[in-house]
This record gives sequence, structure tokens and C-alpha cells, in this order.
Amino acid sequence: MAEPVRPLLERRLVIVTGKGGTGKTSVVAALALAAAQAGIRVLALEVGRDEHVPRLIKPGTKPVGYAGRALRPGLTVMRIDPFEALAEYLGLQLGVRPVVDLVLRNRAFRQLMQASPGWRELITLGKIWHLEQMTTPSGEPLYQLLIVDAPATGHGLTFLDAPRVVGATVRTGPLRKYAGWVEGMLTDSERTLLLPVALAEELPARETAELLLRVRRDVGVPIDRVVVNGVLAAPFPPALENLDERLARLPPDLRLAGLPPPSVLAACGAHLRARFELNRHWAAEIARMTALPLVSLPYLTSGIRGPEDLARLVAPLLAEPEAVAA
Amino acid sequence: MKALAGPEALLRERRIVVCVGAGGVGKTTLAAALGLGAARSGKRALVLTIDPARRLADALGVGALGNQPRAIPRELLTRLGVPAEGALSALMLDMKRTFDDLVERFAESPEARDRILQNRIYQNVSDALAGSAEYSAMEKVFELAESGKFDRLIVDTPPSQHALDFLEAPQRLLEFLDSSIVQLLLHPAFAAGRFGFRIFQRSAHRVLQLIEKVSGLSFLEDISEFLMAFEGMSDGFRQRAHRVNALLLGRETGFVLAAGPAAESVAHAEAFLARLQTSRVPLVGVVLNRARVWPGGGPAPAAVPQAGCELEAQRDLATALAADADSEGAARAAIHAASEYACLVRRDEEVTRALRERSQASGCFWRRVPELPRDIHDLDGLARVAEALFAEKPAGGNDA
Repeated sequence: MAEPVRPLLERRLVIVTGKGGTGKTSVVAALALAAAQAGIRVLALEVGRDEHVPRLIKPGTKPVGYAGRALRPGLTVMRIDPFEALAEYLGLQLGVRPVVDLVLRNRAFRQLMQASPGWRELITLGKIWHLEQMTTPSGEPLYQLLIVDAPATGHGLTFLDAPRVVGATVRTGPLRKYAGWVEGMLTDSERTLLLPVALAEELPARETAELLLRVRRDVGVPIDRVVVNGVLAAPFPPALENLDERLARLPPDLRLAGLPPPSVLAACGAHLRARFELNRHWAAEIARMTALPLVSLPYLTSGIRGPEDLARLVAPLLAEPEAVAA
Repeated sequence: MKALAGPEALLRERRIVVCVGAGGVGKTTLAAALGLGAARSGKRALVLTIDPARRLADALGVGALGNQPRAIPRELLTRLGVPAEGALSALMLDMKRTFDDLVERFAESPEARDRILQNRIYQNVSDALAGSAEYSAMEKVFELAESGKFDRLIVDTPPSQHALDFLEAPQRLLEFLDSSIVQLLLHPAFAAGRFGFRIFQRSAHRVLQLIEKVSGLSFLEDISEFLMAFEGMSDGFRQRAHRVNALLLGRETGFVLAAGPAAESVAHAEAFLARLQTSRVPLVGVVLNRARVWPGGGPAPAAVPQAGCELEAQRDLATALAADADSEGAARAAIHAASEYACLVRRDEEVTRALRERSQASGCFWRRVPELPRDIHDLDGLARVAEALFAEKPAGGNDA
């Protein structure tokens, strides 16, 4: 790719996307921690029905909600609820918040709104745009970096495509203008980056490639790297690459002090090696199919339970992305 | 209801199996493996998925699936040990199409049908009411169950944050149609008589008009048109929904929860299990996919090598490998890898212990399907999953 690869933390808006199970939320949380550690005022944004980021950054913490809350100095998390954002917007336009609230609280009205296409995505992106524009009294951006935990890939595209669709269907009026601002933000490579998270396995790899194809074709949000999560380490040093095969050739009845039989040693190594090779193969495939450099995050046996585990992802996440040869 | 000992009993005693669970835990593979198991026991099985990723088609090796059942070729089935009386078909559901069929069936007139199908609100209705996509799958299950063409239906549900959305979807749609705002849009004169309603009506209209003004969309028109057209359908729909729910919550159906060993996935499955238990859903089993298991079965050793044997172990193994180059380094590396793998096996066991205990305590069977060295993308891979799933082992403990 001709695009220069700038450090992740130099953007204003990083939108993290990926299928369920890829660890997208861990990437959002690790990136927010990294930014806060670097002294950047950061806002992590959830857009789904449930909150996942807060408990990774601060286990046991209460939900942050639409008001948002600082979980660490310089690190705020909030969840954008489209109805709250709509109420805020209409309240500003209409000037009578109680009336708006009365209507928006009605269950049937909410279902009616849910039946209406596009507005949720647009109002959510509008809120993000608004947050990006907010400044401190001295005129500095209130949040220097916004990180969005975007919906899983299928819906992720609908999410990003909303302003363009609205821009194309609505010719005039405030909504058109508004959609234009949001689209301007999303496609500005100085400000914005879409960060896809994948696993180096067949289905997530193919889904990531498909997402990128469609984002490039339809949406035009800048992408400069793919995060490959949960990458396994090689079980044996390079010179002993096929050690499991050597172990498998040992006599099966051989007794080794304090060790399981050779067949078990061989099976352990063979399994780890097969999974490692599969991982390596699909990482290379992701690089080939997307023509992008990769950022690899290690598989953590412990899983990601809190800030200590996230801290182990920070350095690899911020590392220069690598071009991977197939 | 009496507990089922395992997937064998499940397929023997229930006609419909519904696989639930979060995305990415191998639910589709589980559904396909259960289907293969049913076919191997001589049943005519159908696996139904609504997964748009076409995983089932990949796993079954039949290319793209359509809205109609597609039979897996006999020669493939024979190779996989399916007897002549057994059969396996697969279907990938087109949700939009199924919902359209429903509209066709219950619309009052061809004009009403066309008005609904072309309405923009209708076209978004699957997003609108959480679970209506799931519901349309259940509708298809009902239709196929009634058809009598299959002995066993295995249903793969879409990844859902809220497990029971699909059971609640028809009720939610009916509530919506009955609700005040809808009645207001349909019958403004009637609603205007009630005082509290008038305030609501005025503000609702004001907000809707405002939304139209700021959006430039013809929102109200679309909505009332949709509702008018839909109103005539609601009786037929209501009865049908009732029968679908009765089938799914009845004695002929068993739900299986799929989970993966990742910490997030286990937490999700535990929450799922808790929710399912407080519902009327007949949950009968929990399957842990892609678990790392110790070669040859049994629990992984607490340490490799056993504590206190480190030097002897390395010496013994180096001696055994002496015919090759760098036997010392090789022994170290081999022990290191086995130790690491034991660590992973113990980790999976620890992370999933509470889930296993809770599911067994509630009368569910518990099975582990080992992680395979390769991805499952063909029938042979699927056959290996089926073998692990149907391995007869005593319930409970590490081996279940």
C-alpha cells in the first residue's frame, strides 16, 4: 500500500471493528490504556446494547452509561444509546426536553423508531462527531483521541455507510448537511482510521477480507493495518521445527522419568505445531487478501481479564505493522 | 422432564434440536455434527441454519444452500457411515423470503400483500423487532416439522445477545400492533377521546413531524401504510405464533447450548445458561467446543515433568533422542512444549469448570469436543467432530 503508516495514537478517531470472538473489545480497551499512558486525553465509546469495555479497564466497575465516566485520569468511557442521542438532539432543536422525553420513553414509539432505517447509525455517528468537535475552555480538543468499539462486521458496514446513504437519498435540509459533516470526518485520513481485528483462522480471515473489500468500495474510511489477535507462538525453536515427528518415532513403550509416554509428548507438540502453522498460514492469507500490513497480538493463556492482561497487548498493538509475505 | 444422558439420547428422544450460543463458538459445526449423528443412526435429518456466513454449506461441502432443503449426496453419506435408511439434508434460510411467505399467507388481499412487501418499514422489520429474524427461522422449522419429510430437525440459530429473542418476537410484534401509538396512527378519532392520550398524541405528532422536518424523510406516511396493511393479518399471525411457540417449548424439542473455551465465551455461556434456566426453554445439554484435551484422555498432569524429576526427565529423553542431532536441546524443547500444552488443557478445564458443574447440576448433559489440529471445512472434519461428540463416556468429570 502506498499509504504511509502513521502511529495509531496520532489520529483523532479510531473505529475498531471485527466479528464476535475476535477480541475487538480487548483491542479497544488496550488502545485506550495505551493512549492514557501516553498522556493523551482519550474517550472510549461503546455503541452496542451492553457495556464491555469498562470492566476490562476497571474490573467490577458500574456501567458508565450515556453520561460517561472517567475510569482513570484522562480515560473516559461512555456508551452511546441512540435514543438518548436522539433525545439530546431533538431537545436542542425543539427546546422542550420534557415533551421529547415523554414521547421517547414510550415503548411503541421506540419500536416505531427501530423500524425506521438508518437514523440510529447516523445519530450515533453524529454524536461521535459532536464529541470529536468538543473543546476545552482554552480551545484544545476535549478528547484528543476517540476509540469506538463498532458493531461486529456485518452491521459494522451499515454503521459506517449510514451518512453516505442519507446523503444520497436526502437532497436538502439540515440532515443532509449533518450527514456531510459526518462523512467528512469518516473519510478524512488525517483524523480517522478504521482498525479491523481478525483471528488467523479461516472464517474470520475470509470475513475480514470481505469487509475490507466492501469498505474500500462503498465507504472510503481509511484503513492502514489489520490487527491479528490471539497469535500462537511456535512450539519448537526453528532448528527443531519437526521435533514432534522425531518424538513419534521413539519406541512407544519407552519409560521416561517423570514424563508421559513419547506418544503423548509427540501429540502435544504436533497439536501445538498444527495450530501454529494454521495460524501462520491464515495470517499470511489475511495479508495477501487485504494487501495490508499486520499487527500481531500474542495469544494470552490467561485470557483478558483486566488491566494487567491488557498491558501485555499495548506494546505489540503500538508496534510498526509488518508486511507479511505469503 | 427427565434428563438426557447425552446427544445420543437427545437425538433418540427429541424431534427438534435447537443449538444456541454466542457467535464464533462453533454452533454451526455442532448443528451439522448432530445432523450427521442423526443420519448415522438411520434418521432422515435436516440441518437448518440462518447463518449468512454460509458456514454450514462449507462444512457440508455442498456449495451454496438455498431456501429449500438440499440433500447431501448418497455416496458421501455412505463413506461417512450413514446407513441406507438414514439421510442428511441442509438448508440455509433466507429470512426475508420466509417472512415474505408469511405475509403472503396471511394478507387479506393481493393488494394488501403488495402494499406490505413494498413498504420501506416492512423492509426493515427484521431489524425493527429484535428477534423477528430468529422468529422467521422458527416459522420455517414449524413448516418443515409439519411436512413430515424429516425425522429430525437440527436448528442453528443466529448469534444472539439475547437468547430468547426469537421466542418473544411474535409476542413483541403483536404488542406493537396493539400499542397506543399504533392505534393512534390507525384510528386517530378513537384515541382522541381519552385525555391523557391527547397529550401524548399531540407530543408524539410533534416529535414525528420534527423528525420528518429535520430528516426530510416521509416517515409518518410509511408507518401508517405499513400498519394499515398489517392490521388485517394479525389474527392469523397470532394463532400461528402460538403454535410455533408451543412446538418449541414442548416435549418434542431440546435446546443445546454451545460454548467455546475463551474466557469471554465461557462468561457469555454462563449468563446464557442462567437466563435459559429461568425460562420455559427445554435446555438439555451444553457442549464445549474446541476444548484442548490431554492426548489419550484423562486429566492433564499438574506438571510436566513431575515435580522433582526435571533432571532425570531431560536426561532420559535426551538419551532416547540421542540418535539425532542436538538431543539436549531437543529434549528441553519437547518437555517445554508438553508442559505448555498441559498448561492449556488445565486452563480450559479450570475456566470451564463452573459452567460444567452448573449445567450438570441443572440436569443437562455436558460434552467436550476437542480442538482439532485443522479447521473444519469438509465432511471428513465434520465426521471427526461427530465422533468426539458421540463418544460414549460416563457423564461428569474430565472425560465427559
